Amino acid sequence: MNDIRKTKARLIEEHEKLQIEIAEHKRAENALRESQSHLQGILLASVDPIITIDERGTIATVNPATTQIFGFEAIELVGQNVKLIMPEPFHSEHDGYLDQYLKTGEKHIIGIGREVIGRRKDGTVFPLHLAVSEMRIEDRRFFCGIIRDISDLKRVELELRQKTEQLEAANAELQDFAYVVSHDLKAPLRGINMLADWIATDNADALSAEGQENLVLLKKRTRRMDLLIDGILKYSRIGRQALKLEQIDSHTLVRETIDALAAPQNISILIVDSLPLVEYDVVHLLQVFQNLIGNAVQHLGKPSGEVLVSCCDVGNFWEFSVRDNGIGIEEKYLKQIFKIFETLSKPGESQSTGIGLALVKKIVEQHGGTVRVKSVPEEGSEFIFTIRKQERPT
Amino acid sequence: MTNKLPILLVENDPVDIMSVQRSLEENNVLNDLSVVGNGEEGLAFLRKENPYSAAFRPGLILLDLQMPRMNGLEFLKIVKSDDQLKRIPVVVLTTSQEESDRFESFDLGVAGYIIKPVDFHKFVDVVRVIRLYWTLSEQSPN
Repeated sequence: MNDIRKTKARLIEEHEKLQIEIAEHKRAENALRESQSHLQGILLASVDPIITIDERGTIATVNPATTQIFGFEAIELVGQNVKLIMPEPFHSEHDGYLDQYLKTGEKHIIGIGREVIGRRKDGTVFPLHLAVSEMRIEDRRFFCGIIRDISDLKRVELELRQKTEQLEAANAELQDFAYVVSHDLKAPLRGINMLADWIATDNADALSAEGQENLVLLKKRTRRMDLLIDGILKYSRIGRQALKLEQIDSHTLVRETIDALAAPQNISILIVDSLPLVEYDVVHLLQVFQNLIGNAVQHLGKPSGEVLVSCCDVGNFWEFSVRDNGIGIEEKYLKQIFKIFETLSKPGESQSTGIGLALVKKIVEQHGGTVRVKSVPEEGSEFIFTIRKQERPT
Repeated sequence: MTNKLPILLVENDPVDIMSVQRSLEENNVLNDLSVVGNGEEGLAFLRKENPYSAAFRPGLILLDLQMPRMNGLEFLKIVKSDDQLKRIPVVVLTTSQEESDRFESFDLGVAGYIIKPVDFHKFVDVVRVIRLYWTLSEQSPN
């Protein structure tokens, strides 16, 4: 009796153990199937061809994207040597690459990636990026290649290269043009000025007062033309010559600019804040401040006044301001004053060439900043420009 | 200039030639001024070739860079590689503000590089400075 009960108990125990084992197996099977489905899903969904080959180069697996990109059906690929989808010289060299790697272990593409050419079923070729990795399944070694069609990328690269070449050629031509123009224009100008001078000197007795005055006016005009030519040349250089960036103490620079300007007693020029360290081309920065402060002084239009230079921090930029309390500029003119040759003074009234503000705008923009003007007639004008802060920490 | 050697002006623009002549007068420079219009004529002058067989070797050459036929830099290159001629001081008088012209001129060993001013009085100042310098400097050996 006892034996039967013992056996029964043992059987029930064994049965329960088996049930647990079976349940575990089922769980493991499910997990495996899910994992496989997941991985399979990745291969199916991938837009890029993913191909695995064995040590001899025979294709083991491909994914749908491979057919999509290369045109071969899966059955046309699996079992074939992968050089099927390679044009020369890769076609003949691939066996050699594999051999070399198997012998020496030197990685030339594995883990590195390379741009090569692929061949479609219809014989056409296209540029692609190939990433190769190595994997082991038990004691067998496989290589896995992930392919990205880069035809579009290559086309855009070529267009960019061509456009850049065109631009560089046009730029070089413009540089020569600007130089030749300014030189050829200056020569007769010099002649005119010299001759006017000599006519006045040699014939001082014979010339009437009016005649002498006319010659003086003539020389002033030639001087103006000289400044215009220099201005045009300077303007055309901005953007064509590489920027020489350096750390500049803008406070010292502005201080020196103000001193050099030697403004008349009735106009005071003050630096209101402590001006920061900036990264700029020093010649350009000088030009900007000379023009803005010089303009403020020249076009004050009142018997006395002041010009204030200040700066504030606006996050990624420094915002500099040159403000005066002169006669200001009418709203309708605010847009055009930054245009080249636009000046609001009458001819002969000032040495203004109309290039100063256009130059400032071009310089500021070339350095990645902006410039704008605010003005109230009779109360004054404010010119505000920005300088980008350096990216690296000081 | 301390010496009485002639000055050779290599320049083709008539008004610029007058500027030099008048500036020299303003500065009481009494040396003879010889003028040639381009590099080729300049070389003929220096080598005393026809029609310059009676030419004197100049003590100073004032050289414009922009000229027809042979321009200033080509002339300069030849003169500075000629053992007989290379010691004559050359001052470039030009409109060119191009850095490359300036570099090349000094590379070839010019004694000065001056931008022609538009204003005559500045031109006179320029010539005065040249005269002052040569008054102080020792003469170049022959």
